Amino acid sequence: MSKTPKDKNPSPSDTTGVAGPQEQAMLQALEALEKADAFAKAKYQTEFYRRATDLFENDEGMQAVRRQAHRFDSAGVFHTGPWEHPERLLPGLVAGGLRAEGQYPSVEIISELRVLAIAAGESEHPMFSAEEAKSFLQTVMGLNLDLLYGNETEESRLRPKVYAQARRLLRMIEKEISAEGLLEQVLDDIDARVAQRPIDVSLTLKMIEQAENIPAGPNPKLVARLDRYLKATGAPTSLAEKAGSPTNYRNLLAKATPHELENEAKVVGKLLTLTGLSSEYHVALLQHVLKNDETDIVAQALDLTEVGQAHLAQFREQVLELMRLTIHPATSWIIYGFQRMLERMLLARPEVADGLTKLSNLDLCTSAQQVIKKPLPRGSGISANAAIVGGVVAMIGQPLGVGQGNNPTCQGARALSLWSLHDPGYLLQLLTSAVRDDTVEFLFEGTPIFSKDIGGGVAEGKFDLRLDPVSRILVPHLDRVYDEMMRRAALRGEDPHKWVNPALYGRWVPNSLISPFNLINQSVVGYEDFLRLFYATHHPSYDEGHDLVYPNPVGLLITNVHGRFLGYHAVSIQRVAEDDEGKIRVYFFNPNNEGRQNWGKGVEPSVVGHGEIPGESSLPFDHFAAHLYAFHFNQMEVGSPDAVPKEIVLEVTKHAKEGWGEAFTWL
Amino acid sequence: MATKTSVAKKAPKAKKSPVALLGYSLETMEAAKEHNIPFVAVVPEGFDIALKEDGIDVVTWDFYMRNQNSERLSEKLVERGVSHAVPLYEETVEWAGQLNTILLKDPRAFQRALLFRDKAMMKRNAQMNGIRVGVFEEIHSRDEALAFFEDINEARLRLQEEAPEPVHLKPLSAAGSVGHVFVRTRQDIADLPDDAFPCLAESHLAGQEFSVEAFIHKGKIEFMNITEYVHLGYSQIVPETPKLTKIRPKIRKAIEKLMKAFGIVNGMIHPEYFLDAEGELHFGEVAARVPGGHIFELIQKAYGFNPYAALLLCSDPNTPKSVLDKFFPREQDHKIFAANLMVYPRKASIHQLKFPEELANHAYMDRHTMFEPVTAKVAERVGFGNHYGTVFLAGEDPEILRELVQRYEEVEFYE
Repeated sequence: MSKTPKDKNPSPSDTTGVAGPQEQAMLQALEALEKADAFAKAKYQTEFYRRATDLFENDEGMQAVRRQAHRFDSAGVFHTGPWEHPERLLPGLVAGGLRAEGQYPSVEIISELRVLAIAAGESEHPMFSAEEAKSFLQTVMGLNLDLLYGNETEESRLRPKVYAQARRLLRMIEKEISAEGLLEQVLDDIDARVAQRPIDVSLTLKMIEQAENIPAGPNPKLVARLDRYLKATGAPTSLAEKAGSPTNYRNLLAKATPHELENEAKVVGKLLTLTGLSSEYHVALLQHVLKNDETDIVAQALDLTEVGQAHLAQFREQVLELMRLTIHPATSWIIYGFQRMLERMLLARPEVADGLTKLSNLDLCTSAQQVIKKPLPRGSGISANAAIVGGVVAMIGQPLGVGQGNNPTCQGARALSLWSLHDPGYLLQLLTSAVRDDTVEFLFEGTPIFSKDIGGGVAEGKFDLRLDPVSRILVPHLDRVYDEMMRRAALRGEDPHKWVNPALYGRWVPNSLISPFNLINQSVVGYEDFLRLFYATHHPSYDEGHDLVYPNPVGLLITNVHGRFLGYHAVSIQRVAEDDEGKIRVYFFNPNNEGRQNWGKGVEPSVVGHGEIPGESSLPFDHFAAHLYAFHFNQMEVGSPDAVPKEIVLEVTKHAKEGWGEAFTWL
Repeated sequence: MATKTSVAKKAPKAKKSPVALLGYSLETMEAAKEHNIPFVAVVPEGFDIALKEDGIDVVTWDFYMRNQNSERLSEKLVERGVSHAVPLYEETVEWAGQLNTILLKDPRAFQRALLFRDKAMMKRNAQMNGIRVGVFEEIHSRDEALAFFEDINEARLRLQEEAPEPVHLKPLSAAGSVGHVFVRTRQDIADLPDDAFPCLAESHLAGQEFSVEAFIHKGKIEFMNITEYVHLGYSQIVPETPKLTKIRPKIRKAIEKLMKAFGIVNGMIHPEYFLDAEGELHFGEVAARVPGGHIFELIQKAYGFNPYAALLLCSDPNTPKSVLDKFFPREQDHKIFAANLMVYPRKASIHQLKFPEELANHAYMDRHTMFEPVTAKVAERVGFGNHYGTVFLAGEDPEILRELVQRYEEVEFYE
């Protein structure tokens, strides 16, 4: 192995001087591995992993393994495995690795111990510096606050050993790598998540909860930043703090003067607008004022602008009724949805107003009821109708806050977002059909498809239903319908999305689709024409005024931080516009809610700071074009493809070829 | 190599021809390296990349592909000057046979290999050579299976109220105990799936079951190990205990008979036998590849020599006798008794490993291969192949080992 890292210092001897039998067995296994021929190392790795796992059961044991960490790379502990090259490790995968099955968690820990050794300067690696190692581990800490500070969960109770050793590892990392900068890193992470205004805030809430445990250091700015989040998700005012609990807060509110009440409302309203987050205290306040029909205070508690206020006034009855029905301590997250829905004046649309009323009183089928009620805390008294109506309010209030969660269903999430934006009445109709009849109906080229009659689906019926209520219900249906449509449109010699997207999403998707890819032989043909057409239909300098009206569902090629091809993804272009610096950017909705990503080679979608509307991601036009896989266009609305400068075409093509392009043949 | 400046032109030392190792086995490759035996690894696709990166000469091959392109493998190996082929897994046995027909110019090598691959033919061959086997028949349908079952029971004079005499049904050419069905009642036969046929039906042989690992060279047994099965598919002890040691000479004779019947001259065989109450040996079946159940690891622990190396040395017709004499210890000179227990969860659903502390701290505890379970659902067992891990034990008193493996077979290792 030419790139063997140097073992700089001999291992410091342990304090007791004599290795116990478990440690001895581990040392023997490590030695045997070191001595083995490269091709045979795999045979010796298992025994080492096994012995190390025994030692991970207590702190001294993990220390014993840590002491040998400087030998791991050169010994071949990770030879031919996924952890072989530390420079290619992704800190985001550590959390999953520690919780995985079989040997996986053990090797994950052993890998981090090796990184600790590099960070401490005990061993050197030609491709991974001590600085990089330190930074890696700091990121790992930031992404694993629940292991550092969190409590028992159901999962951890079921597998105590695996979680105990994971926690042990994180503690060791925290001890060795200073937590300096951790709070800032975490706050930056929370800021970025919050900027996207996702509907599902559970992860954000967890991070805020755990950020409280991080030593703040002397920086008052950081403390202030955290404080704002704590107020938004907990006791927002001194009165609330005095109360000590939401129930008691309500008692105090009952005794408050109108002026005091107004103040409370103003504070929570502001926090709501600033963060998109709310708490049980906010719920308590709203429930109190709703009882007395105090519309003005409601408007302040929701921080409505004049537009929202006017809308609230006009549809007072229905709004208050909806709020009374759906807002509970367990559903505080929908309060932001109410603000947004009112600002969008959606109740002025009769199909929305009527649809919501219908849904509130609908007889839900049993399976829908089960699905809706499952995540609700027991004894909360929230009816399934209340939960689903609340879910709809949130979704139509925050069309760009829809997320696909832990599922391969970007198509479904994108659909929900599109309909929330442009046809909320239709969304309600679809939802009504799903929760009442357990089916949705779509027409594909004149033939109906009923979701209850078909199986299949991209997710093959396996969903992680930790999603908002509307997605929980509709995504399984949509996934099957999408899969069925793709099946029917297959083998036509062109990308099936050409027919499927308009059929699934609706009539505003143009009927032409262009994609230069042939997936059967993994080749690219006519890339230049494809690029020119994209510029001629989307870029303001070349599209001759045919600007985007409706979002355009497009396909992208996603790459990892090293620029290597990962797979395909569905996003929708919301608009193309100039940012503050005069640069043309594509603003798009990314259903995976991980808007900030790193696609390698300098391409990093951003979610804030470049003129993004909350929930949008953005990229400079050229960068976006370089990752494009397919897009729809209207043949009657094409500008001048030939006007696109050759340099731009060459530049983008080069970028593409050197990135995901390596996985394809260019013809 | 001779150079221009040397006066006496020596003939360049003949480079040893590589042996073809059929199947991916790190142990065998390591043994070859250790004994300076050059080799070519013939492995399925996917296993080649890492090996190539580490400097191993690799040829990829799909051993399940039986069509006209089969000669391509021998072409590739002849190109590399391979001297002979050694099969390491069940599905490589006939390939080794075919290759050795060409490489060793041994016209019967392929046919001999086929005898190992069809259990019915194997037993017929043994029987025709005077080796005692149980009653067996090739079965093609449930009706035939039922008829066989009834015949056996009639022959054993089973009364209605007694439990029926069991029979065994085995696929004709699978490895080890894959697909082995132990038939106790008529219902068991009715429950058989359609794809179980054709298969081999055998009468039940009662008694002490054991296997022999015989290392043979130039028609002579260089070393014979006996593995005593404590519970088939679960546990065994190496080497055998006194009850079997007593009849070593008898077993040796039986092996020699087997060698004659199957034409074995160089290599290793792994036959299974039953010793019945009357002291008679009944032949079960024989394999001509590395045995399963970690038997080689047990042999190494007990005797100290590397059985993978032994396999290679014996498979090479040109290995000098002096090398073999130096390599093998005397059969009675085993250092220790080695045993193992293959662990299967008893529950239907598991989420964590709970290795019994008493066992972990026992003086006879050597090592184990158990980790956290990969899935919570415990799959139904098919044959004896999918154990979750193995516990290896070693000690001086085989009866303590026997007690340990029997006791811990009943213990749950997971929660």
